[in-house]
Amino acid sequence: MTDIPMRGGSAGASGDAPFDAVATFERHRAELKASKRVWNLLALGAFTIALGLSIWISQFYPERLAEGVPRIFEYFGTIMPDLQWDRLFEGRDAQGNAVPGSIIFWYTDFWTYVELLWETILMAITASLLGTAVAFVLSFPAAANLAPNGWVYWFSRRFLEFCRGVPEILLALVFVFAIGIGPLAGVLAIAIHTAGALGKLFAEVNENASDRPVEGITAVGGSWTEKMLYGVVPQVMPNFFSYAMLRFEINVRASSIIGFVGAGGIGAELNRVISFYSDDRVLAVLILVILMVTIIDLISEDIRHRFIGKENF
Amino acid sequence: MRMASIDTVDDGQIAAVRATHPGAFRTGRDGLRKWAPWVIAIAYVIGSLIYFDVHLLFQASERALRLLRAMVVWEDMANWQYANIYKGIAQTLAMAFLGTLLGTIGSLFVGFLAAKNVMPIRVVRQMVRRFLDILRGIDQLVWGLVFVRAVGLGPLAGVLAIFISDLGTLSKLYSEAIENIDRKQVEGVRATGAGPFAVIRYGYLPQVLPVFISQSLYFWESNTRSATILGIVGAGGIGMILIERFRAQLYDQVFFVVLNVLVIIFAIDWLSKRIRLWAIGEKSH
Repeated sequence: MTDIPMRGGSAGASGDAPFDAVATFERHRAELKASKRVWNLLALGAFTIALGLSIWISQFYPERLAEGVPRIFEYFGTIMPDLQWDRLFEGRDAQGNAVPGSIIFWYTDFWTYVELLWETILMAITASLLGTAVAFVLSFPAAANLAPNGWVYWFSRRFLEFCRGVPEILLALVFVFAIGIGPLAGVLAIAIHTAGALGKLFAEVNENASDRPVEGITAVGGSWTEKMLYGVVPQVMPNFFSYAMLRFEINVRASSIIGFVGAGGIGAELNRVISFYSDDRVLAVLILVILMVTIIDLISEDIRHRFIGKENF
Repeated sequence: MRMASIDTVDDGQIAAVRATHPGAFRTGRDGLRKWAPWVIAIAYVIGSLIYFDVHLLFQASERALRLLRAMVVWEDMANWQYANIYKGIAQTLAMAFLGTLLGTIGSLFVGFLAAKNVMPIRVVRQMVRRFLDILRGIDQLVWGLVFVRAVGLGPLAGVLAIFISDLGTLSKLYSEAIENIDRKQVEGVRATGAGPFAVIRYGYLPQVLPVFISQSLYFWESNTRSATILGIVGAGGIGMILIERFRAQLYDQVFFVVLNVLVIIFAIDWLSKRIRLWAIGEKSH
């Protein structure tokens, strides 16, 4: 394109050397490209080194992959139930035994699973409520604009960071050791993590809240607590609620696996059927877990929309 | 100056205002509506905690003390097999990196297949989406356990678990980003007579790439976190070392490992923020 003579400004009007816009642009572009190329090459080098190291450290070699991948498909074959169309809906026989090939045979422990799923949901609700309560209280001192003083701010921030920094499963492991196997350990672990994660989100909502209502409460002589309760809370409540519901959905997932370390819920059963049997029971439990998670998501989404809709109205 | 105070208002005035503005006064039902959710929530929490045997929490003094003691008192530090610990951490980082990278590459293809404006065939799109739903519906830890059964203990299972669960989530996010783009650029490229791949390369990619990069970086961050616990089911990384030493009741070492993991996680958070700034930030101005 450079062969087309283009001149910027009032080119040719005076006798001065014409200001060639295209050439200037091209030169500037070449400079930018050159400086960017160095960085790009450096980034590419770092990336390649990281990739090479990662492959070496995790032994992610093609031959291992080629050996492993077919076994994955094999595995999915073994967890498929052996259902037969003609017996699919057959009930129990006279001795009370289920017929092989029927759904009843596949889901022999159906009611055990349902009971555990129920426990899972209860765990998620309790943990969400507890965690949200802690997050709610801590979100005000952890908001930069609302904290009564620097120390309180720093301390609540670090506390929330610690709560969400430690993985739930790890907390659950510790609680299982300290207070014994059972859902309480899971509830506490998830509640602590929820407090950390929600506390940060709540604090961010608080930081974005308008300070005019707070000034209003200050003007009539309100204490710090009153300022928060009547100045900030009414503004942030819808956001808090919607974040808490989203967290509840996450917690349902978390509580369905936290049983892996013995902290209650369906996770223990899932771990048992995968580690010990690896047969059609794996799929049976997985289907139920996915169903539960999906249904909870749908319900929670409905509640969220309804609540937010009402607030806007 | 005489303050208008509630004392100077007599009952007759209040009754008069109540008659003219009934909406300004709280009725019994409003109070109930305001307090009932709180009462129910608190009652539920107390009830469920009792159901979950909350009294165990107050009987745990001896073991809890042992844990708390191990946080402060570190014994026999010379024989902690640090090489083992840092190898585990390196493995965790490698798993997160490879898993995210593979997930990103896979999602680049699957994301376009699941986007309404790229994949016009409804059946294909719906099938891809349901498949992604299944991948997402199963937790990463469960995938880890399944892959440990399939390919054996070690980081390979972890990489695959991260890859599969990332494929589910990233593809969905990518396809949403693709659906939200500006049509004009795409039409412009199409108007020059470009083929379908050129349309994706010059019409879609420049718009969605920043979103893709930032989302993949977020996933790298969060995968570093989750890779630390994948080892608990045997899928390699620091989690395996953590659970081994936990079972061997070496709580001081466990605490040391956890501290290391927290430092690594913060470092990765910082690094990913810097990379995000470098890769996307400078384009925005």
